[in-house]
Amino acid sequence: MRRPVLDQRWAGYVVAALSVFTLTLVLKIVGTHINAATVSLTLLLNVLFIATRWGSLPALLASILAMLCFNFFFLPPFGTFTIAATDNWVALLAFLVTAVTAGQLSARAKKRAEEAELGKREIERLYTELRDAFGRASHAEALRQSEKLKSALLDAVTHDLRTPLTSIKASITTLLDEVRGRVNGKPIALDAESKVEMMEVIDEETDRLNRFISGLIELARIEAGELQLRRRWGTIDEIISAALARAELITRQRRIELDVEKELPGVRVDERAVSEVVYTLIDNAAKYSPKGSTIRLTARRAGDEQIQMTIEDEGQGIPTDLRERVFDKFFRATRDGDITKQPTGTGMGLAIAKGIIEAHEGKIWIESGAGGKGTRVLFTLPIGDEEVAEEPQYSVSTIERR
Amino acid sequence: MTEPAKILVVDDEPQLTRVLRTGLKSHGYEVRAAADGLAGFETFSDWHPDLVITDLAMPNVDGLELCRRLRAISQVPIIVLSAKGEEKTKVEALDLGADDFVTKPFGIDELLARVRASLRRANAPATTQMTATVLESGDFHVDLESRAITVRGQPIRLTPKEFDLLVYFIKHAGKVLTHRTLLAALWGGNYVEQNEYLRVFVGNVRKKIEVDPAKPQYILTEPWIGYRFDPGER
Repeated sequence: MRRPVLDQRWAGYVVAALSVFTLTLVLKIVGTHINAATVSLTLLLNVLFIATRWGSLPALLASILAMLCFNFFFLPPFGTFTIAATDNWVALLAFLVTAVTAGQLSARAKKRAEEAELGKREIERLYTELRDAFGRASHAEALRQSEKLKSALLDAVTHDLRTPLTSIKASITTLLDEVRGRVNGKPIALDAESKVEMMEVIDEETDRLNRFISGLIELARIEAGELQLRRRWGTIDEIISAALARAELITRQRRIELDVEKELPGVRVDERAVSEVVYTLIDNAAKYSPKGSTIRLTARRAGDEQIQMTIEDEGQGIPTDLRERVFDKFFRATRDGDITKQPTGTGMGLAIAKGIIEAHEGKIWIESGAGGKGTRVLFTLPIGDEEVAEEPQYSVSTIERR
Repeated sequence: MTEPAKILVVDDEPQLTRVLRTGLKSHGYEVRAAADGLAGFETFSDWHPDLVITDLAMPNVDGLELCRRLRAISQVPIIVLSAKGEEKTKVEALDLGADDFVTKPFGIDELLARVRASLRRANAPATTQMTATVLESGDFHVDLESRAITVRGQPIRLTPKEFDLLVYFIKHAGKVLTHRTLLAALWGGNYVEQNEYLRVFVGNVRKKIEVDPAKPQYILTEPWIGYRFDPGER
């Protein structure tokens, strides 16, 4: 590294000297009658060149050499360092001062430019470094957040798996105790009714576990973008009736009010999936509203391209700040949001419903019910586009239906 | 037969309260259930149960808060239902005065054993503590005045601190004692983080009282929580 720097420095002086001598030689050969002003300007130009290329010291050398050559070769008497005319002394001095000043100035300008260039590069380097550091930091933060989320989800899942297991284990050991007590001759007082109750708990809780696991699988599928929609032409009426039939048991103690606009167009949706959404919403409405209250279902056109459905209950409603969070998986307003109510779901129903509706390019959201009471869940479904229908026979039947 | 013991079950999970109600009733207990800490506290105030079984994570007033409120007004035995992963809350509940814990999922026998032990403890020590100078518990006989202890009839020599530790264990036999509780009781509030103190003293006491100190039968370790003292059968 050091040698080239040294060479470079000497090269400046060598070039300075050589250039002055060469120029002088060329000027001398070109013509003896050449104007002294032209000679001095040419030599000055050379000093400027040396200054910008090699810096101030070689420029100083070039200035002095140029002055000497100018004097020796071009100012009469030629071939001596003496000068005859007084005005030529002035010219020589002017030349020297100009050469030195111009040389020093341009050398300094060059140095400044180099420093500026260096500064710019340093700033660019710092900027890149900072940007990388920020990038790494935000990546680490994102990772940390996602780890936190993962462990929160794991907690929720283990809690939801363990809760039914706890009831099952307690039931089954109670039943076992009774059997063993009889065998040991130390019978315990478990009447037939209690035994049936224990078995019912086991039955219900295994169903609950199964529902939870099915929900987990469905959620995983939605999140992986693997929700396979089997879109067919169908009617909202069919979808609602299927959901209501399924929900018959859970809505036995609620009044169902149905308000479906006449002449609703057909929709190109996955009927099973949308019916599942309607069922989930009815189930929630029944779960979180008092016995004897009304659950209202409506369906109507919203603009030219959408159908809007609402499911409304007369329960205690969902506070505004929780209305988006209830669509997060495993979030439960009853447990996580200070709403006191006994029944709890899997915390997945609304997350799955949202996944299904959004896969249909629809939207789902929550409002207050009529008069600011209760919960109203709304969702929209685009009316399918006939031209992209996969099965032509369905298009035909829809056209007829319309 | 005496009056059946009254047990209050506090859990927000209706299926579990259903099972516990039936399971405990079949073993002769009188049972009431509450769905959260607030309802639990109200039922306690009206009904005065002999024992409270409570879940930790509940809406409204949770299990911890219930323990705190109950301890402010009563010495009723409290058994905490906890899940793996709730260790911190569990220790907190024990520090607040809960007597014991059962980890979910549990068999009914396990819960019943804890219920029996807690009820026995709640009823028994009242008489022994009244006599003040003599403690009689399982294999242990303590004369508090002369600071003499015999185990299985054999006298043992303990340093003053070891004596205090063992007496504290005997007085709280069967109850889960957290590291924090023991340290605060024996060394004062400044030492509650010095678990190694406790380990050394427990080790020394075990060498003097246990038949096989490597397999302790009196001072039982509750991993990551503390110790439980079993005075042995008499």
